[in-house]
Amino acid sequence: MSNNEILKPGVYYLQGAQACLEGAITAGCRVYAGYPITPATEIMEHAAHRLPRLGGRFIQMEDEISSASVLLGASWAGAKAMTATSSPGFSLMQEVISFAIMTETPLVIVDVQRPGPGQGYITTGQEDVMQARWGHHGEGSIIALSPASVQDMFEFTIEAFNLAERWRTPVLVMAEETVAHMRERLIVPAPGTIPIVNRTKPQDMGIAPEHYLPYGHAQVPPMATWGEGYNINHVSLVHHEDGNVTRYNPKVHFENVARIHRKIEDNVDTIARLETRELEGCRHVLICYGSVSRTGIEAVLEARAERGIPIGFIRLHTLWPFPERQLRDLLPDVGVVFVPEMNLGMMAHPIMEALRDRCRRVVSIPSLGSLHSPEMILARIYEELQ
Amino acid sequence: MKKHPMLKYLKEEGPAGPRLPLIMCPGCGAGQVLNYALHAVDTLLQEDALRKEDFVFISGVGCSSRLASHYLNFDSGWTLHGRALAVATGAQLANPRLKIVVFTGDGDAAAIGGNHFIHTCRRNMDMTIVCMNNGLYGMTGGQVAPTTPIGQTTTTTPYGNVEDEFDLCRLAQTAGATYVARWTTAHPHQVIKSILKGIRKKGTAFIEILSQCPVHRKTSPVEMFRNMKKITVPLKKSAAGQAAGKIPVGEFCDIDKPDWIERYQGIMDQLSE
Amino acid sequence: MTRQQRFEIRIAGFGGQGVVTIGRILGTAFSVFGGKNSVNTQSYGPESRGGACRSEVVVSEGDINYPYVRNADVLIALSQVALDTYIGELKEGGILVFDPDAVTTLPPSGRFLRYAVPTVALAHETGDLKYQNVVALGALYALIRDRIEKASLMEALKQSVPPKTIDTNMAAFDKGKRYVQSHFLRET
Repeated sequence: MSNNEILKPGVYYLQGAQACLEGAITAGCRVYAGYPITPATEIMEHAAHRLPRLGGRFIQMEDEISSASVLLGASWAGAKAMTATSSPGFSLMQEVISFAIMTETPLVIVDVQRPGPGQGYITTGQEDVMQARWGHHGEGSIIALSPASVQDMFEFTIEAFNLAERWRTPVLVMAEETVAHMRERLIVPAPGTIPIVNRTKPQDMGIAPEHYLPYGHAQVPPMATWGEGYNINHVSLVHHEDGNVTRYNPKVHFENVARIHRKIEDNVDTIARLETRELEGCRHVLICYGSVSRTGIEAVLEARAERGIPIGFIRLHTLWPFPERQLRDLLPDVGVVFVPEMNLGMMAHPIMEALRDRCRRVVSIPSLGSLHSPEMILARIYEELQ
Repeated sequence: MKKHPMLKYLKEEGPAGPRLPLIMCPGCGAGQVLNYALHAVDTLLQEDALRKEDFVFISGVGCSSRLASHYLNFDSGWTLHGRALAVATGAQLANPRLKIVVFTGDGDAAAIGGNHFIHTCRRNMDMTIVCMNNGLYGMTGGQVAPTTPIGQTTTTTPYGNVEDEFDLCRLAQTAGATYVARWTTAHPHQVIKSILKGIRKKGTAFIEILSQCPVHRKTSPVEMFRNMKKITVPLKKSAAGQAAGKIPVGEFCDIDKPDWIERYQGIMDQLSE
Repeated sequence: MTRQQRFEIRIAGFGGQGVVTIGRILGTAFSVFGGKNSVNTQSYGPESRGGACRSEVVVSEGDINYPYVRNADVLIALSQVALDTYIGELKEGGILVFDPDAVTTLPPSGRFLRYAVPTVALAHETGDLKYQNVVALGALYALIRDRIEKASLMEALKQSVPPKTIDTNMAAFDKGKRYVQSHFLRET
C-alpha cells in the first residue's frame, strides 16, 4: 500500500480500519477530512498516507464539525468525500448531517461506535444505531449500513459511496471498534466486479444551465458540480425546485421535505439488504447486525447442532431505511425473536414494531462495552426455550 | 430606467417567481457590500483570464450570509452558521482552481465560527473572506456579539455590555492571514480594491467591512453612514498615535506566504515521483 | 461443527513485549500465505497496560464466526500476570509456551503440554531483548509444524519488521525453534 494505486486484485490481511479506507479510495474518494478520536483514528491515519498518493487531498481539521463540513464543499465541487469518527464526534456532526439531507449532498460518514453516554469507554458498542436515524434535527431519512467483517468494511464502504451518489444523500457506515480493529483476510476482486456509481449530473440528462432546477427534474434531482457553469445555489432553507427560498408556502414546504423523506423510504426494497441463514422450518429466530452477527451465527449454529433448537438467523446489512416489509415477509409466524445488541435494546424496537403480529415475543440480549460471547447468547436462548 | 450594472450577476427571477428585492432591511450595509464585491468580480472577469464559472460564493448564516442564499447568478452555497470556512476548505481540496469568496458576519465568523476562522487563517487557505461587521446579531433581533463595544445596550445586554470586543483584523493577522484589511461601507473604492487584491492574491484574505444595521441600532441609515467616516481613522494616522478612540481602517497586512494547497501539492508531487 | 474446525492461539504479556506483532505475523502467515481464514485481534486500552496485553489468532479452513478465542489451543505467556489471567481458558491437551524466568508459578493441575522456553535469554543471545517475541514465535512453530509452513511465517515476518532487522529476526526465530526441537522434541 506504499504505492500510488488502489488495491490490486488479490488477498490482503488488513485491519478493518484500513480496509474501510481502501474501499473508499477504490470507490473514488479523493477528499478526506477528520479529527482524531479513539477508536476511529486508524482510518484517518491510513487516509493521510494514501490520499496524496492517489491525487487526493487529506486534511486534519480542528474538530468533527468542521471535518464533516469539509465534505459538503468537497462534494459540491465534484469530489467523493469521507470522514470517520466515533460516537462523541458523531453527535457533533448531526447538524451537518441534517444539512446534507436537506441539500441532498452525497457524502459518507463512518461511525466506529464505542460505548456512551459521555466519554463512555473506548471499547466496542452499538449505541448509536438510533442516533444514526434520528440524531439529525428535522425530518428526512438516511441510509445506514452495518459491516461485520474486514471484507465488509471494504465492500460496504464502496456501497456507501454508491448509495450516496445514487440517492444524493449522506450515508452512514455504522462500524464498531471490534470490526475496525480486527485483522482478517480481504479479497479484492477483479476490476469491474464491484460497480462504482457516480451521481447523475444535469449534463447527463441533457439539461442546460438555463433550464436547470437544482432540486427538480426527478425524485433524485441531478446534481450540478461547482465550476461547470450551472450557477447552482445550495440552500437548506425550505425551497422550491429552482432553489428559491423566498416564496414560502406550506404546500411547497410539504412537497420539498416529503420528497426528500420518500426518496429513501419509498425505495427501501432497493436500498435495504439483509442476509438469512437456516430459516427453513425454523420456529424461532435471532436477528442481529454488525460485529454481533459473528457471535450470533456461531450461537445459532451451535443451538441447532447441539440441542436441536429450530432457530434461524437474520443479519441486517442495512439498519436504515429499516426493512420492515422484508422482515414481515420472511417471518409470517415465528415464536421467539432474539435480538442481541451491544446496547440495552435499540433495533429491537423497529423489529418489535415490524413483527408485532407475527411473533410471540421479542427478547433483547444486551451487552455493553464488549462483544457477546457465544455462551452469553446461548444461555439466554436456552433459558427462554428450554 | 437604466438597470443597475451589477444586476446581471443576480438571479432576478426563476420558475418559482421573483427573488428580488433582497431580504435586507432598507439602509442595510450588506447590500452595499454585495455591490462592491460584484464590482470586484466584474473587474476580474474583464481584466484577468477568469470566467464566471471559476467563482463560488459561500456563506454561513446571518444577514450578511443571506447575500449568497439564492440571489447570485454564480455557483454558491448557503451553509451552516459558523462553518462556511470549513465548507470552503472542502471545495478547495476538491478543486483548487475555484476562486472562493466567503460572505460572513461578525457573529458567524468570530463567535460560532471562531475556531474555523483562526484555523483557516493559520492554514492560509486560498480564499477571500468578506466579513460584514455590524457589531451585533441582526437576523435574530439584535443580540450582543463578540464585536459589540463595551457598555452597549442590546437585547441580551439590557444593562450594558460587560465584555470587550474582538479586533477581528488583529485576530486574522495573528492567526496567519496574509492579506488583512478593514474598511467601512462608506469606503466603496477601497473595499472594491481590497476584494480585488484578496481574490488575486494567494492565501487567506480577510476583509472586514464595518456595516450599518439601522434597524437594531435605531439610527437612520444616513446618519450611520456619515458616522462611518467620523468613527474611523486611516491606519497610518492611528499608528502614529493620532485620533485615539477611533477605529483604524486600511491594510493591516499584505505579505506573501505559500498557501495550503501549494504546500500540500509539494507532498503530492514528491509522492508521484 | 464450527468449533472443531477452529485453531485458537492466544499470546499474552506486558505491553512492549511484542505480543501484538507476533499475533499479526501469525495471522498474516495463515491467511495471506497459508490459504486459510484467520482473525487477529488484540486487547485494547487500559487492558493492554500491565501484564495482560493480549493478542489472539483464530484460524480455520472454513468461515470464522466468533472472532475471539473461546477455548485456546495455544497459550504463549510471557509474564506471570498473563499466565494467571489466561491459563484457565487453555483447553485440555493444549500447548503452553512460557518463559520460565518470568513465569515462575504454574497452576498445580491442568492437563496441558508445557514448554518452558527462556525467550528473554535467547533474545539477548540474538542481540536484543526486543527479539523475545520472535523467539517465542519460533518456539511455537516447532510445535505446530503440521499447521503452518515455515515459508509462510518467514514471508509474514519479513512484511512485519523493518527490512534491516529481517536477518536478526530470522535468527531469533531459529533460536526459538531449535530450543524446542532440542529440548522437547529430540530433534536436531
